[in-house]
Amino acid sequence: MSSPELDIQNLKVSFSTPRGKLTAVNGISFHLNRGETLALVGESGCGKTVSALSILRLLPEPPAEILSGKILFSGQNLLSLNAKALQDLRGRSISMIFQDPMTSLNPVLTIGEQMAETLLRHTAMNRQEALQKSADLFGRVELPSPEEKLKHYPHQLSGGMRQRVMIAMALACTPRVLIADEPTTALDVLIQAQILELLDNLKKDTGMSILIITHDLGVVAEIAQRVLVMYAGEIVESGPARALLNNPLHPYTKGLIASVPKLGTIKKTGARLEEISGNVPSLDQRPSGCAFHPRCAWAIEKCKTQKPELRQADAQRQWSCHLEPGSI
Amino acid sequence: MTTEKNIPLLEVRNLKKYFLPEKKFLEEQAPPVRAVDGISFTLKAGETLGLVGESGCGKSTAARTLLRLIEPTSGQVSFCGTNLFDLKETEMRSLRRKMQIIFQDPYSSVNPARRIGHILQEPFEIHGHQDKKENAEKATQLLEQVGLTPDHFNRYPHELSGGQLQRVGIARAIALNPKLVVADEPVSALDVSIQAQIINLLLDLKENLDISYLFISHDMGVIEYFCDRVAVMYLGKIVELANSEQIYNSPQHPYTTALLNAIPNLESGRIKQKTSIKGDIPNPATPLKGCAFHNRCPIKEKQCEEEIPPLKEIGPGHLVACFLK
Repeated sequence: MSSPELDIQNLKVSFSTPRGKLTAVNGISFHLNRGETLALVGESGCGKTVSALSILRLLPEPPAEILSGKILFSGQNLLSLNAKALQDLRGRSISMIFQDPMTSLNPVLTIGEQMAETLLRHTAMNRQEALQKSADLFGRVELPSPEEKLKHYPHQLSGGMRQRVMIAMALACTPRVLIADEPTTALDVLIQAQILELLDNLKKDTGMSILIITHDLGVVAEIAQRVLVMYAGEIVESGPARALLNNPLHPYTKGLIASVPKLGTIKKTGARLEEISGNVPSLDQRPSGCAFHPRCAWAIEKCKTQKPELRQADAQRQWSCHLEPGSI
Repeated sequence: MTTEKNIPLLEVRNLKKYFLPEKKFLEEQAPPVRAVDGISFTLKAGETLGLVGESGCGKSTAARTLLRLIEPTSGQVSFCGTNLFDLKETEMRSLRRKMQIIFQDPYSSVNPARRIGHILQEPFEIHGHQDKKENAEKATQLLEQVGLTPDHFNRYPHELSGGQLQRVGIARAIALNPKLVVADEPVSALDVSIQAQIINLLLDLKENLDISYLFISHDMGVIEYFCDRVAVMYLGKIVELANSEQIYNSPQHPYTTALLNAIPNLESGRIKQKTSIKGDIPNPATPLKGCAFHNRCPIKEKQCEEEIPPLKEIGPGHLVACFLK
């Protein structure tokens, strides 16, 4: 097997707050294979966005602090690079798109100028060439009348179009890895389907790898080959998307899947959704033992005191739970 | 169903809300934004009606207008036979105890400087119950009714999680035993595992308190789970209205079909059909000639570009606004 595009080892990130030092990501390890779409799933506060931002060192340090770990990208540890080297990398080899395309675009510059900026920074193109290339890219992300759009300001575009602009910008230098942080959460369902389809097609054309961060299992089912489920700063389950969604091993994954109303189960009087009781723990109140135990319907005595290690279910699947597979 | 339940609790007729952009000096008045453009529906007692559509389709404006939280441009809304738009402000205020609303974002819908207990006593105070001790008792009961503990009484909103605070929003809405609760995207801002809790809570309250819901959401999955009937809105108009079975098993409007096809299926991993819908929702200030959906419609014909399709009944209780059905 070829070496992975990105290899994250034992990443631990904390934040200094008035309440003390809080650990947002507690020693996670994963890799992103070449040409694959990997989804990082979890609820708010589980550390998925912090993990992604750490890869490009986009967290404000301080208050954030990367306590330990390695992030290997083509043999280099990104955590030991200096600011200059990181800037060369960002947008060229690894790009990122964000949830809210309005706040990630500069409202007082035209779309064309912002697009060209990326190209001028990372390539030897002149302004004219950069604008031409921008229009080409707009065409590739299926923006209608691309030449026109260069002269538009962000507020003149709809949410879906702005996200297409962000994708075009991210792809400007044909990166090898695209990190997409909740790319469709701010969009309507029909537009979401369009954007996911676009990302999938672009991935196939360019051979890049995608790390997609989402809370939406529908998005996972639609686009990802492999999934990591995070809870309270740790990975609790990982595996191929199909297998994981059809046969979850961890009680949390199972609960998440059950709480999504499924189409075709027309509401019957008195029918209830399966729910996970309780609340997502805040960072300063991480439960002892398995962090999920206060909300887990299957928790046993051991779960309260001993933290379960990640174990191997088969060659491709891992999960961290004291219970034997098949007992939930 | 008893005969009493067949009298509509809420009847909305040709409701319109246009927003006029501010006129700038020496400039021509810009055309109005037709946020809600003539919608009609009824809601029977004990029933749950879903209002579904993309952002900007006017579903929230419709909800706020029919509660008179914003004043309508024209149309009629009768609640238990009373025309709301004829009422004076004081009469409307007293009727509001029967019609309540739950908002999408629980944090911005409560006063951050008030304790939870105070927030829950306020409805009683406003509607003439001055006995402080009794109000406090009622507020405590409400907390238990929505799955919180008396312990939350003295806390401030920022000390609660989003899901807990949404329970407070719900408790406040049911405080005065309303007949109608408008739930405006009540779970959209919440985490997946919390959404199911809140939906179950709303279902339980419906059973126990005999509440009718107008349930607004963009999520077809949640709507199917929750609603007896569904109205699909597009650019200020209802394009399809039917009971849940009809909408989900035999959708007639191409927009409804598109919405259903866009939902990913967790089991198979693929959405039913690749998107046949291209482009964006048009600007409601400059509506298209003809059917508002024609620029995105996969099956449009010449007529759709010129005439506006009327909402017509194609089966018992199944209304569709499309020439091709």
